[in-house]
Amino acid sequence: MILSIASAAITSAVLSSSSADPIAVATLIKPAIASPELAWAGLILCFPALAAVLCAVCGAMRVKSKLPGMITAIALIAAFVTTLSLYLTCHDGATTTARTIHLFDWITFAWRGESGDWTNFLAPFTLYVDSLTLLWMLFVTGLGSLITIYATEYMEEDQGKGYVRFFGGISVFLFAMGTLVLGGNLLLLYLGWEGVGLASYLLVGYNYDRPSAVAAAKKAFIVNRVGDLGLAFGIFLIWLNYGTIEYDALFQALADTTSSAGTTAANASEWSKAAIPYLLMLGAFGKSAQFPLHVWLPDAMEGPTPVSALIHAATMVTAGVYLIARTYPLFELQPLALPVVACIGCFSALLAASIGMAQYDIKRVMAYSTISQLGYMFLGLGVGSTFGASYHVFTHAFFKALLFLCCGAIMHGMGGQLDLRKLSGLRHVKGFRVTSWTLLIGCICLSGFPFSSGFYSKDTIIGAAFASDDPLFIFLGWVAIVTAGMTAYYAFRVWFRVCCGEVLYEPDLAAHAAPTANDAHGHVAPHDSANSQGGHAAHDFHPHGPRFAINGVLLVIAVGAILAALPSYLAEFAHQQNWIQSMVTDSSAVAGAGSSAHDAHAEHANHALSFTGISDIHTATSVVASAVGILGICIAAFFHLTNRKAADRLRHALLSNALTRWLPLAMENKWYVDEIYHVVLRLPAWAIGHVLHFSDAHVIDGFLVNGTARIPLHVARVFQPLYNGALQGYASTMAGGVALISAWVFWIWLQAG
Amino acid sequence: MSCFALTTINASTTMLMQPMPTLTLASTASDPATVNAALLVSALLFVCGLVGFLTRRNMIIMFLCTELMFQGAALAMIAFGNVHHDASGQVFVIFILTVAAAEAALALGLVVLLYRRRETLDSQAWNELKEA
Amino acid sequence: MDFATLSHASSIPAAFLLAADDTGVMTSPAAALTIACAISAAGLALIMQPGRQGIRTAGTVLALAGFAMLMVEVLARATPHGSDGSMPPVFPVVFGFITLFGAVRMITHPKPVFAALYFVLVVIATAGLFLLLGAEFMAFSLIIVYAGAILITYMFVLMLAQQSPVAGVGDAWYDRLPREALSAIVVGFVILATLSNAFFSPQAQSDRADTFERTELSGTVNAWQTLDAMPKLALASAQAAYVESLKSLKSSNDGATTSATTAAKIVALVPDAQGNRVRTRGADAFVMAQFADGTTIELALPVSALPTNSRHVGVELVSKFPAGLEIAGVVLLMALFGAVILARKQIELGEDERRELAGMRRFTIEGESGGTGAQR
Repeated sequence: MILSIASAAITSAVLSSSSADPIAVATLIKPAIASPELAWAGLILCFPALAAVLCAVCGAMRVKSKLPGMITAIALIAAFVTTLSLYLTCHDGATTTARTIHLFDWITFAWRGESGDWTNFLAPFTLYVDSLTLLWMLFVTGLGSLITIYATEYMEEDQGKGYVRFFGGISVFLFAMGTLVLGGNLLLLYLGWEGVGLASYLLVGYNYDRPSAVAAAKKAFIVNRVGDLGLAFGIFLIWLNYGTIEYDALFQALADTTSSAGTTAANASEWSKAAIPYLLMLGAFGKSAQFPLHVWLPDAMEGPTPVSALIHAATMVTAGVYLIARTYPLFELQPLALPVVACIGCFSALLAASIGMAQYDIKRVMAYSTISQLGYMFLGLGVGSTFGASYHVFTHAFFKALLFLCCGAIMHGMGGQLDLRKLSGLRHVKGFRVTSWTLLIGCICLSGFPFSSGFYSKDTIIGAAFASDDPLFIFLGWVAIVTAGMTAYYAFRVWFRVCCGEVLYEPDLAAHAAPTANDAHGHVAPHDSANSQGGHAAHDFHPHGPRFAINGVLLVIAVGAILAALPSYLAEFAHQQNWIQSMVTDSSAVAGAGSSAHDAHAEHANHALSFTGISDIHTATSVVASAVGILGICIAAFFHLTNRKAADRLRHALLSNALTRWLPLAMENKWYVDEIYHVVLRLPAWAIGHVLHFSDAHVIDGFLVNGTARIPLHVARVFQPLYNGALQGYASTMAGGVALISAWVFWIWLQAG
Repeated sequence: MSCFALTTINASTTMLMQPMPTLTLASTASDPATVNAALLVSALLFVCGLVGFLTRRNMIIMFLCTELMFQGAALAMIAFGNVHHDASGQVFVIFILTVAAAEAALALGLVVLLYRRRETLDSQAWNELKEA
Repeated sequence: MDFATLSHASSIPAAFLLAADDTGVMTSPAAALTIACAISAAGLALIMQPGRQGIRTAGTVLALAGFAMLMVEVLARATPHGSDGSMPPVFPVVFGFITLFGAVRMITHPKPVFAALYFVLVVIATAGLFLLLGAEFMAFSLIIVYAGAILITYMFVLMLAQQSPVAGVGDAWYDRLPREALSAIVVGFVILATLSNAFFSPQAQSDRADTFERTELSGTVNAWQTLDAMPKLALASAQAAYVESLKSLKSSNDGATTSATTAAKIVALVPDAQGNRVRTRGADAFVMAQFADGTTIELALPVSALPTNSRHVGVELVSKFPAGLEIAGVVLLMALFGAVILARKQIELGEDERRELAGMRRFTIEGESGGTGAQR
């Protein structure tokens, strides 16, 4: 069914014009101004790097206090302040000019070809600062510092053991993320890309004595690697086709290419140019956990909660979105690339939302929610609304981080318990009030409740989907609306179950029994960890609420989540241009920023949502999406607030009916994607590995190497009887040798004479 | 005495016969037949000595066979000295004799010590330097 | 090639040898020698088998045949252009035969003392060959040193270390049985074939003949120079030559003999520009003899004035090989030291002995036990 729709979409996409004219795309991007006076912007990268080095020093000196955490927090706050001042410097008035800041020469290759002309490959360490960069860096550094402050308290149980390692990993991550976003060429982006992958591996595998954590870290790294292959090949082809990998030069080359018809680089071929966006897209899907490379993100929840919040919700997973936004002109050149992005994004959103509805671990629910929301962002990019995608990135960063941090606080205080069947009524538990209400704010934003930040950003995307003339995009828009309903359902399912109802909690005994599990923070008696091994009944468990650092950060981020909608408030009610939109307009993603022509589009009388009777497509979208969202909340309230047993009965009913049995099973088992990968990829690899192992051990090692070694042994055994110690035996051998040599010499003499 | 006279080739009629005829080098340069016979005998002596060394087990007889090889070498020296009308061959035989004597003394001393260890002169008794 | 003169020294197998034609080309000369060597080796192999007497007899016959073939072949090659009518070389053959007999007997005799005695026979026969080759000094010194000293030493040691024959068994088993005779014979055969082909190939033969002719003159000159190295003998020889020449002159003149004492006395020989007193002109030597009154005559030295072999060898040894002489002396000294060290006995001194040697008081009183006596 999907294939037929896709084929229809392909024909329609080829025939219809896309949202922007390719020729105009590249020329809209203004060339960057070289700004060496802004070299202090390099401090944004230096602060986290310095923090990493200092954490390593702390580790070497076996510091047992919270010093590494404080170092990292201070460094990140400094980076945030620097970013802010950079923004203020570059943003004069209404527009932001793009700037390149050359720090030092990193890679400069030049060689002479056969025809005698020089080819060069330049990758200087240059920062490319335009408004997209600044937008990203603001929330990356801001959230980074807040979450680090949260983590100083959250990880306190591990002081002296893994504390330093954790903050070292966080520092490395933020350095790499900064390089990814600030880098002025694709090689720096790749460097940051790999760096965040490495940091993710290190931090997910933080509890290295847990096999599940180690496996999850490996899975994350390996699945990312598949995507990195696509990114690497994409970069190669970009260089081959355009002769440069620096953003500024690339955009100018694109402008020249598209304005002058037909002349391309000497060794370009059409297929390699066409392949570029698909390869880049593969990289983006790997890093941002879209189908089929989404399998690593839920398992990555094995890492500590601050890691999940920072890396797997707010920053690293948005790198894919950033990549496509940054290289948007390349995507614009291929008519099929963006529809593919949209389709996959939408499909991932639907898939993840369906799985999230059936999970019991609240962190897993949030993980699938992340995949789903990232699908929305890719949908936004695909339908031509980079503004929508960036806005959703911005708001999603806040509310998803908030949701994860609340889950962490619950875990911290409830002895590691995350199963929503075993927690209830936390709203009324002493010390958990802040957590519950901030969780509510997060859920409101996630489900797109009217006038929340998620509402505005999601509806920008869906509105853009409906506003295009492409029937494929309209279909995707309807899918997105259904997914929004599912999102609202599972978000409030969590809240109603965990925070409402009668008070009920039990610690997670399995997690509590391991003294090194840093997420099991319940205390039986004050600081009596000797009792934590076994023999520890639930009724002795006293949850402790989070303290100042956690609560403070939760409040700050909640406020941020609310205020993330501020640009829309100002745009709607004060008629200023949406700040996010202005940031996107001044960047290389300008094509999707939505121009006034787009707003003119909105006045279309006949659009897909005309049945609502509202003429403005965006307003119509908002109404329909809100309605669906509130419907979802009501269903969740029914099943999980008022009538909890009804959920179980429904599930039973579905399971017992042979026709619908597959539905709950598939949703609970993640649609068996992991199992399919196991059979298709892992088993053959395992088999090949065994075959190769056998051939290596027996054929190469045994036969060739050892066999060759045995040849001298056997040859020696042939001659061994000569060495029997008898004097005359040796003498006769010597005499025989003399006889032979003399006979031979005589023979030669005879021949010569 | 008459047989010595037969070996002269360059019989000079002006030669004055002393009451005690002494053999002189130039006049007794031997004919090729003698030289050939001597060379053959030297080769045979050498080979007999070699074969004896390799087959006899008694250590003293083994050394005696090496002396036989010396004999062969000395004979060959003398024969070739004769061919070249040079006395260096005989001088070298003196050295051979010297070395043979020295070697015989030391070898016999060692053989006696060895005999004391094992109470036998069998050369097979000393085969400890073999592969295990 | 006249075989008749050689036939009395050859045995029947000689007739099978050497299909020679008058052009002098031998068909496969190497093969002939090699076959003879092979026959000799086979014979020796058979001789060395312990056990039945019949085999040993057959081996002896075979070895004799082989030896005979070899000898005939070798002597034939010595005079390839026809014999010059001199007598056939009986003595080399006889001495050679005795030598070989002694050698073979030495390596096969089960009793070691007999082997040593046969070695003495070998030495004597070899000395005979030395004499035939004109090296009389070496011949007799060989007998004195080898047979008289070295072999006697061997016999002493044999008597010391010999195990007496056990009744009923005979000699020691390791004397009766040869050790891997076959491989030794094969090695011997290869070496013999190589040596004989190398010595007696036509090329080598002609080389030797050339050398023989070429060095005759220089040899004679050399011999005269050794006389020059002995001034007193040279003077005496000159005097004798002078006397003889006077006698022959007188006898050719009037047949009467004159007393030798009436000859004038030569006081000195005048050296020539190089300092040689005995001067050579070609192969002849002459001296400038100076009389008491100062007159000099040129005096030809007869061939009999050539120094004897002993004197010749002596002068050569000292003048041409002084270093060798010294080193030989050192070698003998080292052998002496070595023999002394090898023959030392370890004597364990008792406590008393040691203290006495050190000049201290004895431990025990004379006659008491303990602390005294050298232990061996």
